[in-house]
Amino acid sequence: MIAIEELTKAYGSDVAVDDVSMVVEAGALTVIVGASGAGKSTLMRMVNRLVEPTSGRVLIEGEDAALLPVHELRRRIGYVIQNHGLFPHRTVAQNIATVPTLLGWDRQRIAARVEELLHLFQLDPATFARRHPYELSGGQQQRVGVARALAAEPRLLLMDEPFGALDPLVRGKAQEDLKAIQRQLGTTIIFVTHDMEEAIRLGDRIAVMDGGRLLQYAPPAEILVHPATPFVGALIGVGDRPFRLLSLETVAEEVEPGEAEGAAVAADADLRNVLAELLWSRRDAAPVAEHDGRVIGRVTLARLIERAGAPT
Amino acid sequence: MRRRFAQSAPTVLRALVVVALVAFLIRPELFRPLLAPLCDAGQPVIYDRASLLSLTLSHLATVAISIGGATVVSVGLAILVTRPIGAEFLPLSRSIVNIGQTFPPVAVLALAVPVVGFGEKPTLIALFLYGLLPIFENAVTGLTSLPPEVVDAANGMGMTETQRLWTVEAPLALPVVLEGVRLSAVIALATAAIGSTVAAKGLGEVIIAGLLSNNLAFVVQGGVVVAMLAVTVYEALSAVERIFARRAGRIAKLEEA
Repeated sequence: MIAIEELTKAYGSDVAVDDVSMVVEAGALTVIVGASGAGKSTLMRMVNRLVEPTSGRVLIEGEDAALLPVHELRRRIGYVIQNHGLFPHRTVAQNIATVPTLLGWDRQRIAARVEELLHLFQLDPATFARRHPYELSGGQQQRVGVARALAAEPRLLLMDEPFGALDPLVRGKAQEDLKAIQRQLGTTIIFVTHDMEEAIRLGDRIAVMDGGRLLQYAPPAEILVHPATPFVGALIGVGDRPFRLLSLETVAEEVEPGEAEGAAVAADADLRNVLAELLWSRRDAAPVAEHDGRVIGRVTLARLIERAGAPT
Repeated sequence: MRRRFAQSAPTVLRALVVVALVAFLIRPELFRPLLAPLCDAGQPVIYDRASLLSLTLSHLATVAISIGGATVVSVGLAILVTRPIGAEFLPLSRSIVNIGQTFPPVAVLALAVPVVGFGEKPTLIALFLYGLLPIFENAVTGLTSLPPEVVDAANGMGMTETQRLWTVEAPLALPVVLEGVRLSAVIALATAAIGSTVAAKGLGEVIIAGLLSNNLAFVVQGGVVVAMLAVTVYEALSAVERIFARRAGRIAKLEEA
């Protein structure tokens, strides 16, 4: 658990982060979202003390971050940035081994960990371990960047616009992979982005910031339904609200018994995609199937429309 | 086929220069017919007061020592002024190495002789001072123009200042530093010839002897050897630079494109 208490960062009379308090639950993926200059990166960088707070404190599992030796603190926290920041003169394996090497792990343990991570990120060690970053695609570079951050098994991972430089297709895949890996490892993640769509897609909780202040900190559904301020509403995009609400849920949660005509939709598809599919194929309902092809029921247009509206 | 020739032509040319240079230094008599028309009958064609090979080696040694020293001092200074603790010394260091560059080496020789006497020392001092600026400026550029996200990542992962310097900054800045060393070395090779005016052993001796005795053959052989040395050293250091640049991942993309 990370407790941020009355954290402020001022540069002269310029206040970048203004008295922010929030609690990040262990194992949760918390997204800090806001326009550029909102103070979201500064807030995140105060957790691993790349920025030293002007006042307030950060407690990591009860320990005051300011009291730990700064290098030890950072080695315990994974760090991923936009444009990955891989060391261009080092191979993929050496890049991933950075923090374990700093921590003085023995060579066998490092080699085993590097191989494990390459597998986890679907990079074949025989092909990729000895390559240099410039020999990889953007998506592969980003995966190596995340693998490097996870190398020393940190309990906390900080990610600053990690997918900002990826094209939309690769980006979607990277987001899915991150979700899957986070579920698998149970790592606490603080994720900074300016993209509300990405925030809703990834976040267990979303912190909306503007002008250095924390405007709202809540689960995505709550933010969509009850935006705390007009600014938060504008950031969500009120016109897209029903669709974003649908995108939070999978079909599996709305399956009802019965049959329907036509091609089946996957049980783990999100409701927005299913709505689009029903509208496009001019159907009122579609069968829902598991990955093995077993039909478990149907989903109806009426149910989706019901789910898309504001709670009454 | 033609393209292949165009690509290999520079390599062949470089090899020829080196072969010609080595042949001339070991067996200068072979080149007698080429040089004879340049001097009057009766004048010696090939410089014979010392072996050309030993003069060349002394010349190279003078350059190596002075530029070696200049590299150590400049790089050390550049590292210091690019740390937070030494940042305020940057303007001061810059003025000091600039003075080294502004003083003509001839003037330094003249001023150094009364202090350290005739021989190698004044030349070493002059070349050392003259070599500081390009190396220092390149080292500062190399250390301050690193990709910001790489430095950020190094800090974020918990490297100490020293770890970051040796494992990230130094390897990435190395090609740029070497470029400065190459510039200084080539300038020093040419400039070292004037050391012979204060009795340093080197190829300047041959040129000066030629000028004094009005023997164009001496002037040409001294001059051409210095020029060929400069070209060879330039090429050799460029090759080393490319190796390190590729290792640093800096130019690999350009070459593939």
